[in-house]
Amino acid sequence: MKKTVCHLLLCAGSLLAASGVLAHHSFSAEYDNERPITLSGKVTEMKWSNPHGWIYMDVTGDDGKVTNWALETSAANGLIRRGWRKEDLPAGTVLQVEGWQARNGSSTGNIRSVTLSDGRRLFAGTSNQGAQEEK
Amino acid sequence: MLRISLLLSACLVGVVQAQEVPRTSSGKPDLQGIWQVNGRVGYDLEAHVARHDMPPGLGIVAEGAIPYLPAALAQKQANFTERAALDPLNRCWLPGTPRVMLLDSPFEIFQTDTELALTFEWQQVYRVIYTNGEASLYEGIESWMGHSRGQWEGDTLVVTVKDFNDRSWLDAAGNHHSAGLQLDERYQMVDADTINYEVTLTDPAVYSKPWTIRAELQRQHGKPRILENQCQAEKEEANGDFERVDFSWYPAPVPADNMPFNAAASNPPPLPAVGADIRRLPNGKPDLSGYFMTDAGGANYGLEDTPGGFLMPDARGVVKDPADGQLPYQAWARAERIQRELPHRGYDDPTAHCFVAGIPRSLYVPSPFHIVQTDNNLVFLHERMAWRLVALNRTQHLPDNVRLWQGDSIGRWQGDTLVVETRNFNGKGWHNEVGDIMSHMQTMVETFTPVSADKVIYRATVSDPIPYTQPWTIELPLDRMADELLEVACMEDNNDLQHLKDVRDEYRAQQGSN
Repeated sequence: MKKTVCHLLLCAGSLLAASGVLAHHSFSAEYDNERPITLSGKVTEMKWSNPHGWIYMDVTGDDGKVTNWALETSAANGLIRRGWRKEDLPAGTVLQVEGWQARNGSSTGNIRSVTLSDGRRLFAGTSNQGAQEEK
Repeated sequence: MLRISLLLSACLVGVVQAQEVPRTSSGKPDLQGIWQVNGRVGYDLEAHVARHDMPPGLGIVAEGAIPYLPAALAQKQANFTERAALDPLNRCWLPGTPRVMLLDSPFEIFQTDTELALTFEWQQVYRVIYTNGEASLYEGIESWMGHSRGQWEGDTLVVTVKDFNDRSWLDAAGNHHSAGLQLDERYQMVDADTINYEVTLTDPAVYSKPWTIRAELQRQHGKPRILENQCQAEKEEANGDFERVDFSWYPAPVPADNMPFNAAASNPPPLPAVGADIRRLPNGKPDLSGYFMTDAGGANYGLEDTPGGFLMPDARGVVKDPADGQLPYQAWARAERIQRELPHRGYDDPTAHCFVAGIPRSLYVPSPFHIVQTDNNLVFLHERMAWRLVALNRTQHLPDNVRLWQGDSIGRWQGDTLVVETRNFNGKGWHNEVGDIMSHMQTMVETFTPVSADKVIYRATVSDPIPYTQPWTIELPLDRMADELLEVACMEDNNDLQHLKDVRDEYRAQQGSN
């Protein structure tokens, strides 16, 4: 009955298809399909919470101004089951995030996908695409 | 004289312990039943006089006082001063361990040779104590309730609990711990109605030395089962944040202009055949215990075949009866169901508030569950921190006016299929995120048919004369896997709810100004 926990360094490839999405219509209420975003920056904090986690990330704009974005993820438990641990994403980790901005125009977003600078994918996020993969 | 009498009592206790504690078939003390701590000990673990928000008590700290390090003592005093605002329990957050054992609230113990489930009336919180000798798959993952591993030392159950966060308190007086806390619990049954409960707390960042609390758990007689105490839901109903739905909540009547409910129209396909290789318990019954994931097919986003949308997945459709896969709605209820998909209605979904998902939704929310099965009960432990009891040893449902989020479930074996009948719903739940409707008049018959060693076919036939014209049946495969539950502390970090409320309030403001 032992489960082999997929370790981050050993199975990064399998994460490409993994999503573990807990989509919620709250997302379609909160986020704007017409505001897709692609952000690159450095993690300042990740909240490994459920039912949804949050990545906080400093993003430097074209004008040099740094904005701290709050980016909503799927449940942390899905990440944990795929072998990710808090220590794998320390502050300072460089990420590229694709997703959608909040309807109210704030620096808040819903994550579709997260890619680390070495090409590894964290998870497909809370997107419809990710939810399809879940099945 | 006192010393002699204490000695005498100790001897008597020893005699009673050897002779009279109930035992399981494997000879261990049988801790099963409904329990509650003796006395109002959970307000302040240390001795204290009465305060406006707590009764007096002599304390249960064996050493008299908690051996705090200086900074931690200052923190405790600050917590105490601001306890009304800071106590996590006042916010209906998970109580943590050992606090959950010491509340003025009953809990039930279910016991097998490999695990114990402790299910609490407070917020439907549960603990699992694994006694299978295996280490946690998720060591180091922080949690409110901790990860519990137990073993029997003679007749004493000894449990190590660790992997805590630093957010729970030990009592209502602000006594606290760090994420480095380790508990060593000892459960010793001294007679059929009493468990001596002792906990040693070790946390070098907070205490100068380990210290111990001692309490007595008393069996609660005369309760057919424990009920639900949904703290957050009650609070939000009282302050208006969660609004009553007049047509579905108990005791709404069937609308006068409804089409008649045709119960005889129910015509689900035959049950699948029981597999030849299914697992069985020593008593010969099918073994439904363990960790399961449902192949849910997006049922949480539509019981009918429903295309997805922005940030919403497709639902493949799980309705087996009626044969067209459509839920047999009353016309007005279909119109309400369509309204519930609109963004400003997202706030109305009880699960957005982190309330209990209810039945059958708990089976297909995209979260696993774990079944602990005994001869007399099955208890479903859902990862979203809610348990559900299926009693095999009762024949009478709760009185009609006792209404629960999850209803009251009584099960029986029909051959190798578990059949569960549930009623006493409160009608507050939604069947899924698109708002398929349930009312308090819902009654439900579920079947769990093991078709192979690790696959169970789940059916639920729902009869609900308020929103529907006839019964309907859904079917879902349940897959047993080798994994264990993690914790979902939903309302503790529920940042979405305010956003949803903003969307709703903005909509209402627009409607009001038009």
